[in-house]
Amino acid sequence: MSSQIWETRPLEIWGKAKELRARWQRSIDESAAAPGSLLAHGNAGEIDWSVGFDSLNIVEDNPHGAMLASLSDEYARKCRLASETRGWGRELCGYVNNCWGSMFLGYQLDGSGFPMRDMSVPFPDVCDQHTKRGQQCMDYSPIPRWGGDCTMYLGPYDPDREKALVEHKVQCTLGAINDIERIFGKEFDDEKLVKGLGARPQMEKYGLEITRLMARTPAPLSSKELYSFFTIGMLTKVDPDEALGFWKALRDETKWRADNRIAAVGNERYRMMEAHPPAWHYLKFYRYLEKYGAVCIGSQYTHTMSGPLELKEDGTLGPRTKNAPPPDRPVRTREDALRRIFSTDARGPQVYKIDEYIRPRSISEFATGMGVNGAIMPLWRCGVGCTLTRKEQALQLNGIGISVLHYEGSQPGDRTDMDERRFLDQIDVWMEGQGFGKLED
Amino acid sequence: MDRFRNILENRHDYAREWKKRTGGRVLGYYETYMPEEVAYAAGALPVRIMAGHRADDVTDRQMYGNCYCTRDMLRQFLEGDYDYVDGVVNTEGCQWMYNAFQTAVNRRPGLFSHYIFVPDYTDGRTSKDVLKSELGVFRGRLEEWTGSAITDGALDAAIDVYNENRRLLRRIYELRRLDRPAILGSEAMGLLLASQIMDKAEMNVMLRELIPEIERRAPAEDGVRLMLIGSETYDVELERIVESAGGNVVVDELDNGSSYIWNETIPMQDRLMALALRYLGRPHSALKDNVWRRRPQRIYELYEDFHADGVVIAKQIYCHPHGSDMYAVWKMLRERNIPYHTFERDTTLPPSETRQRIEALIGMIKPGMTRLRGWSEA
Repeated sequence: MSSQIWETRPLEIWGKAKELRARWQRSIDESAAAPGSLLAHGNAGEIDWSVGFDSLNIVEDNPHGAMLASLSDEYARKCRLASETRGWGRELCGYVNNCWGSMFLGYQLDGSGFPMRDMSVPFPDVCDQHTKRGQQCMDYSPIPRWGGDCTMYLGPYDPDREKALVEHKVQCTLGAINDIERIFGKEFDDEKLVKGLGARPQMEKYGLEITRLMARTPAPLSSKELYSFFTIGMLTKVDPDEALGFWKALRDETKWRADNRIAAVGNERYRMMEAHPPAWHYLKFYRYLEKYGAVCIGSQYTHTMSGPLELKEDGTLGPRTKNAPPPDRPVRTREDALRRIFSTDARGPQVYKIDEYIRPRSISEFATGMGVNGAIMPLWRCGVGCTLTRKEQALQLNGIGISVLHYEGSQPGDRTDMDERRFLDQIDVWMEGQGFGKLED
Repeated sequence: MDRFRNILENRHDYAREWKKRTGGRVLGYYETYMPEEVAYAAGALPVRIMAGHRADDVTDRQMYGNCYCTRDMLRQFLEGDYDYVDGVVNTEGCQWMYNAFQTAVNRRPGLFSHYIFVPDYTDGRTSKDVLKSELGVFRGRLEEWTGSAITDGALDAAIDVYNENRRLLRRIYELRRLDRPAILGSEAMGLLLASQIMDKAEMNVMLRELIPEIERRAPAEDGVRLMLIGSETYDVELERIVESAGGNVVVDELDNGSSYIWNETIPMQDRLMALALRYLGRPHSALKDNVWRRRPQRIYELYEDFHADGVVIAKQIYCHPHGSDMYAVWKMLRERNIPYHTFERDTTLPPSETRQRIEALIGMIKPGMTRLRGWSEA
């Protein structure tokens, strides 16, 4: 590339990441058929209690639906039609309509049968679609489903309000675990859950180091890489020790790249951030931005790998001060473990969405800490969890001198109304408006 | 009936006049899970923030992809229609409502504001404890705001007023249940909407006078009896279109319709727990009908009890709670061979298109109705 400023290199850890993801995908495919294995719909991302059940795989419809839209627009349309004819709003979450449309059709993209879920576990989230999520498979099979809440209040941390909210979260999760043991005859391994408690904070420490390294110029990683890695050990279920090893290796490689000025984008001269989630089927727009020397350093969404962040006095991003210390008592049982996790803030730990409610300034803090020049924020119609407050966030970024480009579409898992050519034209106008021409064409 | 209609049409004037007359504070709220009794016991007038029908050229700066209701709620705030409101309260529910609430607070930072967490998992073992705790916090905030304590006596009085209002409005529903209802769907919905913006004690006096008047009316002409379900509504245009097409909406399963008044607060020593149980035990909204399903069965029971002949489902475009719950409703209606028509509505209700749709539905139902034929011969 004639305009190259920095050296670039492929990441060595790609192979390991691919292996972990492939193994997880295989375990899902096999668990539908393997005797004794259980396949659940949902997400235990907030707190991975599923680690206590050896034979339980929890799969979320979001990544599955996004993948379908990316792999085959034709098949995804069939899926959405199958949902719509059953009454699902045509303008609603594309992930949901794709994934469960596939269940209604009865076959997957490759022609194999749809792996029916054995249960639906709650996935509390501020997004209303998450609250309703899992009803399709619950009603269709039918299978057991448990409830949960994304407990919320506005204003500063309030210990009086926390008490009942934390108890509610603990009891909802405990109820689900106890019921799964009873209904499916599976034993829950408390020790594994307790052991897993230690892995998550350590993974977040590595994640935080990566975030801070990405604040350097040139950025050693970009959004594209983060999208491949940021779910490993969380949404992509991996043995906690192996996950920890992966994150340590990723941190080491990122550090080496940052120290040696190995760039994600060789002609980096413009840094931008985004808001969750992007047009999954059209991630090539990051490549187009590279023609302008622009690198996307991610979003609050991708940087959830670092845990809750805040801008420190020295201008860098650091771990957010905890509202309350965890209870000072030994963690021996599943109940102890759940209390340990939930007790520091009933509104956590999925902070990137909660922040939109309780700490709206955090997007400006993120932008400042990462030293970005601009932001691309998609607007998804009726995207309650994907678009809520996005316009207000853009106004806030404008207020600190950051230019924002919006692009529109139906839903992140629905290509129908996404005008890709128009989006590229918008990028041209946006970059040229800021005085940047293409470095190559 | 005209008095209620006037109040509804001039609701901002009503609230301003109430403030002037009583010296009290007006508290705007967004969701029907708002525990109004607590605010009423604090001497405030809880007023539902309702959408209107005006062209919107201001909310694009703050919102994208929202339903029209919440856009219009915000528009009214930005344009000063709600300048008389002293505070706003939102309860956990639809996120678009949250957006309208939060942005209004951002634009008018001096407003008293509060958010009450009402569990979406209403049937959880600890959900009632959560809501009781949240009501206690709300009570404390109101006491701080008004500078006076909310006594148990004041809560009892508020619970009585609200229970009576629900009871009186249930009598209106009973009049709709008659073979030949003495009240039209548009009139009944007008009363329901008025109850969300009026001082309930005042309304109760008016309703006590109105109900005997309605009972004395000659029954309406026989027609196709329809049930209305779907997203919340803020006017009676749809009911009027149905009436002009020869039908009558005899019952609804709307969040701010029958679900708003269906169950009472059962008095208990622990007032806040009594309120928590009332709000969690009310007919589920689409969003909160997520583990132990109640909506499809309730819809069917209302349909049967009110002898409806068909169902109109009016969904706001971009209404995600109803968009993601409708499949369960369709399934129930299809399984029971109940005729229904679903349509999406936006900022306004296009009269000729909507009328055509309703006429088609009525035209589809009518030929099979021996009841109507028999009566006309008689």
